Amino acid sequence: MILMPLVFYVAAAITYAVAFAQRSDTVGRWATLTLVGGTLTHTFVIGMQTMQVGHLPIVGTTGAVSIFVYLLAVAYLYTETMTNERAMGVFIVPLMALLQAIPSVTDTVASRPPVLDSPWFAVHVSSLLFAYASFALASVIGLTYVLLFKELKAKHLGFFYARLPSLKVLDVMNGRAIAVGWVFLTIGLSVGVIWLIQVQTSTLDPRVQAMSFFDPKISMMAVIWIVYSFAIYARRSIGWSGRRTAVLSAIGFMIVLLNFLPIGYFVTQSHNFY
Amino acid sequence: MHFFLLGASHHSAPIDLREQIDFTRRGLSEALETLSQFPDIGEAVILSTCNRSEIYIACENPQRVRETVSSFMSTFHDMPDAKLAPHLYYRVDADVARHLFRVTSGLDSLVVGEPQILGQVKEAFSVASEQHYTGTFLNRLFDWSFTAGKRVRTETGLGEGAVSVSYAAVSLARKIFGDLSPLSVLVLGAGEMAELTVNHLRSQRVKRIAVANRTAAHASNLASKINGVSVAWDKITNELPKVDIVVTATGSTAPIISKTDIETAMRPRRDRPLFIIDIGVPRDVDATSGEMEQVFLYNIDDLRSIVQENLARRQSQVDLGELLVNAEVTKFMSWVNSRAAIPTVVALRKKFDAIRLEELDRLDTKLTDLSPETRKKIEEITRLLVEKLLSSPTENLKATTNEQTVTAYTDALNELFELKNQDHANKRDTADTITDDTTTSSLRGREN
Repeated sequence: MILMPLVFYVAAAITYAVAFAQRSDTVGRWATLTLVGGTLTHTFVIGMQTMQVGHLPIVGTTGAVSIFVYLLAVAYLYTETMTNERAMGVFIVPLMALLQAIPSVTDTVASRPPVLDSPWFAVHVSSLLFAYASFALASVIGLTYVLLFKELKAKHLGFFYARLPSLKVLDVMNGRAIAVGWVFLTIGLSVGVIWLIQVQTSTLDPRVQAMSFFDPKISMMAVIWIVYSFAIYARRSIGWSGRRTAVLSAIGFMIVLLNFLPIGYFVTQSHNFY
Repeated sequence: MHFFLLGASHHSAPIDLREQIDFTRRGLSEALETLSQFPDIGEAVILSTCNRSEIYIACENPQRVRETVSSFMSTFHDMPDAKLAPHLYYRVDADVARHLFRVTSGLDSLVVGEPQILGQVKEAFSVASEQHYTGTFLNRLFDWSFTAGKRVRTETGLGEGAVSVSYAAVSLARKIFGDLSPLSVLVLGAGEMAELTVNHLRSQRVKRIAVANRTAAHASNLASKINGVSVAWDKITNELPKVDIVVTATGSTAPIISKTDIETAMRPRRDRPLFIIDIGVPRDVDATSGEMEQVFLYNIDDLRSIVQENLARRQSQVDLGELLVNAEVTKFMSWVNSRAAIPTVVALRKKFDAIRLEELDRLDTKLTDLSPETRKKIEEITRLLVEKLLSSPTENLKATTNEQTVTAYTDALNELFELKNQDHANKRDTADTITDDTTTSSLRGREN
């Protein structure tokens, strides 16, 4: 059962690619349906795991990756429905399939140590994961912006010209995804800090004691916040848009992924709850 | 029932001849009215555009109709048959469907995939059908052709990509800005090319169009024509930072807008894109301006090469389009063939019912003792009996779509049940057709 979401995501990634290459609406509808199927089975898997351990399976990076993929799928499907634009799926669904492979090979769900037994923790993790999902969308939209921009500049109108929406639409979508992500990022970080102040004096858990600005996971998070804050400032006040913000969102998401996976698994002393 | 087509198009006739046989000069209604006076015409639709004049007929005898329609063509247009004949083409049955489906899908057009023809065919059909010149067969043929035309266009890239310079410019603008309605346009030059491109932009409902020209009078002339404003020639650089699209089409021999002008204009705009369409020859805008981030500069050659690429891409879709057309023709002909059995079915049912009524009539005297209810029941039973006996042969015959099988079955039925001897069956007994008054639509449906 745990493999089902992965199977659906892989199938959806292939179907999105076929729909994109052939520009077929019929295949596109199948792609969306497959992704909806993946999201539903994923809901079921997460529900089962929640029943198994008695809380949302967001403890530890592996569980968090699964929830991240889930939120990304939901956020993407929302965007697709709102904009009636399926072209982005070919870029984002493979990312889901790739990341979903991690929780699919490990069947165990980390149970929650007593120190994390707080509503603050759930808000902290889910807000941040939702922020990551928005940033993932923003970077993919940014990537497609750059692809189309290059074709228009080179005056060679080909593959992407025929398939992507206008530069303006991509730019606006990129800006919105960053703004939404930034709001959740800020909420998630603030809640994390508040929760840390509450528990740091009352527990001797080494991981909680290691939570300081100098833990790589936490200092990287500050970098991420600065990057996205700057992206928003640059758009609002300097008048940046288009390729510059697109590149910025790609850089931002690279750091997010770096912090989420390698640093989350191997480096951090404070966030290793798996 | 057969289909017949006679026509001339840009493939077969030069422009001056096409002009002379244009039916719209005297009106389609008059042409249809005149055509209906000729013998043997079943249903009719006349399609007349600047690229083609075609007459579609549903009839019993295409050989005779060929002569009829040819003579109609030459008398109606007052042109000797000898002059007209070499430029005409004729199609019968499946080839008529194939031709019409190719026409509606744009495969037969001068510019492959052009969209207007579908609307023109719809218009021609509605003129004929509103005046009851069409019936079951042409209604079905034309309905089918609209579906086939749409299918070919959606399932191939036949209608995609701009194929004119000015339209290519507009589609580029849409790819950069999306919705064009909040945008401002500056036009330099007031010639034909400028006007053509601006008209395309105007149809996208851009917010403001400013026109500048060395001769101010020409600028205000064009401005008033397109509902824009005119701007003094020396104020161009003031306009540049404000507008989103610049169209230049002047006859100037030296560039009018330098890279410095663009740089100055871009500074307050930051990352707001500027799309420059330079269709002047020689070019009006310094070519290196296009190197700037967010400046999209396209000159006439760039646009022409886009048009060439699009035409080539459309051409590459032709084979796929033809395949789809053939598939639709096969499906349509199945429907036509299945209709061929209907006269026989009707005749068969009439014959059986006649026998039933005859027998009831004969027995009438012997049944007088029975109560009216019982007699009604007997009548009902005989009716159901005939109904049941005929139900499976009727269904099977209607479901047969293969032309040879249909002919074999109907021939057999006609022979075995002596259907042809009945006076309501065939009046025109041609070798290969079986007709019945339920399917012989006379040209004027309303007179039936």
